[in-house]
Amino acid sequence: MNVGIDPRKVIVCRCENVTLADVLNAIESGLDNLEVLKRKLRIGMGQCQGQTCLLLVAGILARKTGKSFDEVLIPRNRPPISPVKVKYFIGDER
Amino acid sequence: MKTDVLIIGGGVTGLFTAVSLLEQGCRNIVIIEKSYIGSGGTFRCATGIRASFTSREHVNVMKRAIDLWPEYARKLGFLYRRDGYLWVLTRERDVEFFKQVVEFHHSLGVPSRMISPEEVREIVPSINTNGILAAVYDPLAGKAQVFNAVLNAVIHLKRNNINVYEGMRALKISDEGSRIVVETNKGRVEADKVIVAAGKDSANLLKGLGVELPIHNLAKHVLITEAFKPVIKPLIIDWSSSSYILQVFHGNIYIGSDIPEKYDEPAVNKYMFLEKAAKVWTRYFPWLGEVYVLRYWTGYYDMTPDHHPIIGPLEENENILVAAGFSGHGFMMAPAVAEALTQYILGGKPTIPEFENLKPDRFKKGKLIKEIAVFG
Repeated sequence: MNVGIDPRKVIVCRCENVTLADVLNAIESGLDNLEVLKRKLRIGMGQCQGQTCLLLVAGILARKTGKSFDEVLIPRNRPPISPVKVKYFIGDER
Repeated sequence: MKTDVLIIGGGVTGLFTAVSLLEQGCRNIVIIEKSYIGSGGTFRCATGIRASFTSREHVNVMKRAIDLWPEYARKLGFLYRRDGYLWVLTRERDVEFFKQVVEFHHSLGVPSRMISPEEVREIVPSINTNGILAAVYDPLAGKAQVFNAVLNAVIHLKRNNINVYEGMRALKISDEGSRIVVETNKGRVEADKVIVAAGKDSANLLKGLGVELPIHNLAKHVLITEAFKPVIKPLIIDWSSSSYILQVFHGNIYIGSDIPEKYDEPAVNKYMFLEKAAKVWTRYFPWLGEVYVLRYWTGYYDMTPDHHPIIGPLEENENILVAAGFSGHGFMMAPAVAEALTQYILGGKPTIPEFENLKPDRFKKGKLIKEIAVFG
């Protein structure tokens, strides 16, 4: 993408340690929407739930495939949005 | 568009069937998926694989699937491992019931066994066994990586020039004598053979041909936590609360738990699920309370009246085949179903004779599958 930068050294998803090269290779193998890229690469499935990487990958995908940004599916947010410890769901048993 | 075989539904069943057909030299295949690959039950599922069931049909079909899973794992490059299943039992009557189940398993060659709470701790060292009377352990059971299994299948198919169309929805199937015609939102597809592997949508599609498939969606709830190094090897089921837990290959802990749901009601998030899942599993794993939940999602089991899938050609037209209504067991069964569908398509009979009992006409003929005892 950017001339002079090694895509293997550009981190796109910090939670799951996914590089720009991983993203470009997956798109080239025929996985050309964000829902399947998410599951192939685990972008958006780490601790931050995609707050950084999903928009970045959507941008890369739109440029690579010539699709409009609207056509690139943005995966659904799932609760609890920010991670919550299991113990907080137990409820009050006193 | 014209093709030899059209597969409606881009879940694990449809894709593995395409892989299997390709292996047998059938290269002219088209797969259409209304949303994205795996978007139905496949990508929501727990990924457990076992043959420890209570009907001859389920046991023998799953045993075949377990023979085939390592081949798929090797060919497509994903992880599959026999880490076992563990049913923990906390009521006397459940122990008595499971003694019969284990006996049934042994009669069909499934190596499950009753174990003591001490043996449970040997298999899962971090579990609190208070309240556990006994457990059933099935060492033949296991799990596989669902994302890589399915997406590597797609990459494999695309490399072999098989088209997988996402966002393409089948609207109507008609029999035009020599060919089957499927209308979609993106034009018409003509095929010699059509496989309908589209969950409950399969019933809607076949209604137009006068075929009634009794499939109902039942909402299910699951959560997943942050990832850790391996701590829980088998998939564990708490029988009395209909809840299960497993650690997926990536390290996240996946929890499912039943809460009251009615057929064909939309799956929506309910706080009750989170509360139940947390209560049941922090009792067995007190440390789990400190673990972060990352996501909670819902999905459907596509249920049939006898909780067994509908697989095989229609009696009315053998060029239209069904693979739907898996009732929560579609992923684990997929390699065997792919093989059986391939054998039907190529004009043969399935290797596992019990497949013949799963044909779509069994409801009309009143030949429902019988289990030794009804689970749940």
